Amino acid sequence: MRRVAIAFLIAVFLVVLPAEVVAPYSFATQFRDLPNAAPSHAHLLGTDALGRDRLSRLLFGARVSLLLAPAAALLSVLLALGLAFLAALGGSWWERAILAAADLSLSLPWFFLLLAARALLPLNAAAATAAAVTFGLLGVLGWAEPARVMVAAIRQQLRSDFVLLAHASGCGRGRIALVHLAPHLAPVAAAQFLIATPAYLLAEANLGLLGLGIPEPMPSWGNLLRELESVSAVAANPWVLAPAAILILVVGCFHLAVSADKRVI
Amino acid sequence: MLGTVARRLARFVAVLVIGGLLGAALVRFAPGFGTDERMLDARLSNASIQAIARERSDGSNVVSYYLGYLGRLAKGDLGESVSLGRPVRELLAERASTSLRSVSAGFFSAWAAALGLVLLLEWLGFRPLRMAASLSAGALLCVPAAVVAIACFYFSGPPALAIAAILFPRIFRYAQNLARHAAEAQHVFAAHAFGESRGRIFWLHVVAPVAPELIALAGVSVSMAIGAAIPVEALCDSPGVGQLVWQAALARDLPVIVNVTLLITALTLAANLAADVARGARGHAE
Repeated sequence: MRRVAIAFLIAVFLVVLPAEVVAPYSFATQFRDLPNAAPSHAHLLGTDALGRDRLSRLLFGARVSLLLAPAAALLSVLLALGLAFLAALGGSWWERAILAAADLSLSLPWFFLLLAARALLPLNAAAATAAAVTFGLLGVLGWAEPARVMVAAIRQQLRSDFVLLAHASGCGRGRIALVHLAPHLAPVAAAQFLIATPAYLLAEANLGLLGLGIPEPMPSWGNLLRELESVSAVAANPWVLAPAAILILVVGCFHLAVSADKRVI
Repeated sequence: MLGTVARRLARFVAVLVIGGLLGAALVRFAPGFGTDERMLDARLSNASIQAIARERSDGSNVVSYYLGYLGRLAKGDLGESVSLGRPVRELLAERASTSLRSVSAGFFSAWAAALGLVLLLEWLGFRPLRMAASLSAGALLCVPAAVVAIACFYFSGPPALAIAAILFPRIFRYAQNLARHAAEAQHVFAAHAFGESRGRIFWLHVVAPVAPELIALAGVSVSMAIGAAIPVEALCDSPGVGQLVWQAALARDLPVIVNVTLLITALTLAANLAADVARGARGHAE
């Protein structure tokens, strides 16, 4: 199952990355005489209320989300990794301070803070800026959980024989961290990355549906799902469910990919 | 025991105060703080736009704003909403009961369904049924909370149902994993070998050992329920605190945002504190 999930994810990435080539039209092209059109040869998933090709918007929107969510997850993991090394190697004061900050961060209603901070973007912010800020906030606010896991993993590694030997051989803290600990933390970091990526895809979808995701005309999974808000549109055009169905499949594949790695989490 | 509770209470107050300050700081330093949609209205004169900007700049020094806010809070004054022009205390009071109803109904329904299903599956011990339940819960986890809320609204379900549907898979999967590990433990095999009855093994050797973890999960799931209430109330048009949060975020309403941050943080921390105390009390009893 894990292999199928990874193969599906690779296939989705291969299709959406060259969206300019694969998509039949630009995401902003409007066919003003064809609003809310049903699927046809020219528009395989029909068109939206503004006459924009739904398939093209899905391809471009999936690319935005599938590039920025992993980037945000990478930011979270790198922040967590840096802070975990500081906590584990910087002495007990640093460890207490960083773990207290992680506890505090986990106690705060992060989705609400994200909502508030995202809502406070300048009113005239460009779509690209809004996209970068949205995912940047996700990355910055999501450091605490991976940091806790990594601190625990580093503590475990610090008790191992090879680290004791490195200490005895006179290795400095920096060298122990980079040469001896970092390679052993790679699987933990990879698992945390795979956990954070679908979480951020879902968070962006939730923000988009609340009108606080990436603004139009740039498509993203969040704002593509806004079509679901119109109950009559869903009943009349069930193909508007396509972005939701693919998002659920992609998130499911990320979960399957990570479930086999649970031993390292 | 009393010393531990006192330490936890002190930590509770400290986290609450710092959390509120961080919430206010995050909002204050967001790039668009101080701007208002009305400032884009071409009909307004420069003087009107400057007046709106002055009105919005109240709270520009986040520390003085927050200290002033804490001083007023001590007197029971939560300030006034910028966007709705009404006292925040009044807004929270009239919306709290709606949220309390939907969050508590969703929370208890999710727990009842998840625990009931886990207990049933463990009791029956039928592997394909367990896998089917696990897969269904896994599929529900992949659906964005906002899509669940829309589906609930579409089928005229109450907001509590959407909150329950969002919480259920998280509680179910965790509880099922705990029950699985407990059922496969060595002492359970030993109890079987000693010829203990199935019911006794189930309640004493499977359910009882996982109780502390379940209590901790209950504390965490309160925060999940509160988080779920925001998209659910906003999209199901339910006039609760979750909807107020969404409206405040859209309207850049700092007084409401700071108050709701404190309220939600307090509820989350109180739930975790209660779970910790319950776990501690259970440990002492044992």
